[in-house]
Amino acid sequence: MKTVTRENLAALVKELVAKGTAVVAPAASRDGGVDYRDISTLDEARLGEQPRRSLKELFLPPQEPLFSWVKKGSDVTLSEVRTEFPPRVVLGAPPCDAAAVETLDKVMGWDYRDELWFGRRAATTIVALACTAPRGGCFCEEVGLAPDSPRGADLLLRAHDGGYAVEVVTKKGEALVTAHAALFAETPGEAPVRAPAPASDMPRVRAWLESHFVDGLWDEIGRRCHGCGACASVCPTCHCFDIVDEPEGVCHGTRRRHWDTCQTPRFTRHASGHNPRNDQGSRLRQRVMHKFAIYPARFGEVLCTGCGRCSRSCPAGTDLPEILHRIEGLA
Amino acid sequence: MNELRELAARLLSEKSVDVVIGWEEGPRGARPVFVTRPEDAQKLVFDERCVHCLPAYLSPRRAQVKALGKPAVVVKACDARAVAGLIRENQLAREDVVVIGVRCGGVLANGAEAPLSAATLHPRCANCARREPGLYDHLVGETRPDPPKRELPDRVAALDALTPDERWAFWEGELARCTRCHACRQACPMCTCERCAADKTRPQWIESAPHGRGNLAWHLTRAMHQAGRCVGCGECERACPSGIPLGLLNRKVGSVVARRFGWRPSDDPSVPSPIGTFEKGDAQEFIR
Repeated sequence: MKTVTRENLAALVKELVAKGTAVVAPAASRDGGVDYRDISTLDEARLGEQPRRSLKELFLPPQEPLFSWVKKGSDVTLSEVRTEFPPRVVLGAPPCDAAAVETLDKVMGWDYRDELWFGRRAATTIVALACTAPRGGCFCEEVGLAPDSPRGADLLLRAHDGGYAVEVVTKKGEALVTAHAALFAETPGEAPVRAPAPASDMPRVRAWLESHFVDGLWDEIGRRCHGCGACASVCPTCHCFDIVDEPEGVCHGTRRRHWDTCQTPRFTRHASGHNPRNDQGSRLRQRVMHKFAIYPARFGEVLCTGCGRCSRSCPAGTDLPEILHRIEGLA
Repeated sequence: MNELRELAARLLSEKSVDVVIGWEEGPRGARPVFVTRPEDAQKLVFDERCVHCLPAYLSPRRAQVKALGKPAVVVKACDARAVAGLIRENQLAREDVVVIGVRCGGVLANGAEAPLSAATLHPRCANCARREPGLYDHLVGETRPDPPKRELPDRVAALDALTPDERWAFWEGELARCTRCHACRQACPMCTCERCAADKTRPQWIESAPHGRGNLAWHLTRAMHQAGRCVGCGECERACPSGIPLGLLNRKVGSVVARRFGWRPSDDPSVPSPIGTFEKGDAQEFIR
């Protein structure tokens, strides 16, 4: 088994930072909350904590320019944005966050290849850290993952004997280990792997959803929902964005994309004023449908990694695992 | 608790109301519930975890709640100010709601766990002298002791003491975390606009992207729209998934309205709204 001590992990951060590779890890923001932040030493990292927002923002930032334009007379000049990015290492992402990025690769490479997403993906090595204890509201095993799932990670660390056991998952992960080979050791013994969880009942949930577009459940859960979209903001897999043109003067401006969410009426309001999702029940239904029926139908997997952030952040007490259990009961 | 449940069951069975909006035990603590059948009144709970400002569900924006019929709403003393605010601004008729006041001794801070103590008390309860609302049709619950004493730094005063550059740096850093999900607006009992200025696109008054410009335009606009209206329930700050201290903006603006117009959030709907009234004595030296 490959291992790394805590001291050597600190040395790895130091070596990476010294050669100009950004290291991003869960770390405290000024208000005390934990976010993904650039660190310069391992001591700044809050390893083992789940940042309040997910890893997706490192690949799909809350807002980013797509191109800018300058108009002179009848000439329009477009300036592209760069789609190549400097190398970056993410350290200590929880497995639910790492898995989400791999799940999103499917839609980001589906009807067109999202250059910005894949540009950042190519430049980033993800070192995930297996969870040792569930947080309140976590349900990764119910969606077919595990607290130590290697999915989406390039390297997976598991706490072991004061340091970490290292599972090399991808070639990119292997390259990181090889480039810093002196910091890693071969230790006798097997890595501590958790027993896999029983198979999830997601197909049953999907079957129920596909035949219950109209159901009293949606009205019931929609009443409580404020439609605030906090769930989508913190979600590692909600990826919808809006595209806006921002004039910055008479003749120049920027086309930009930014996060959007199906939880707001504006998301589906037509130019005519008609809104096909005109109450919160239908908007909450969309969120559940997209995650557990539409995405599985198109890409063969659910659009949820069970991180539990939506339930923890909901100001009205809506709980996604509870909704899924109710659907399992109805199915 | 039984008093609350019995009252709710009675109001529903005698059809005085169609729905009682209160709290139930949810999978992750107390949460809002809509009780429409007398037998479901048993679900109702009230304790220090009931932090939510339920009058948010009385807003005209909440068509799905309205569809249930005439509501009764359970309110703490602070929540009653939101009911009064809605009535004051003609968003709700007094006779269209039954107000069930509950005696309250303070609620838990965001993310804190029971029991209630100086360390876990919600900051807004620290100096609350009101154990029961002034606006109610029914008052239930046992008399509660005053909340634990909690000395809190005056964060608004601390910000006022900074230089403009330092203050700018503070807000720039805080607002940089905003993703413009608008949770602050959606959870607010006083954000009653059917269509928010931030959602208008012809023209686009407020840029929708969460960059410095857009975030500043949004949060300043919201703070100004809440001037003399914010009831201090703290739901914006609680709803914010990025932990932005939005209450500081509202408290600052509120302190200006208090100083200039002598207005404070009140649970008396007949207290006129400073934005909706003109008094001869109103400060107007800024009009030149």
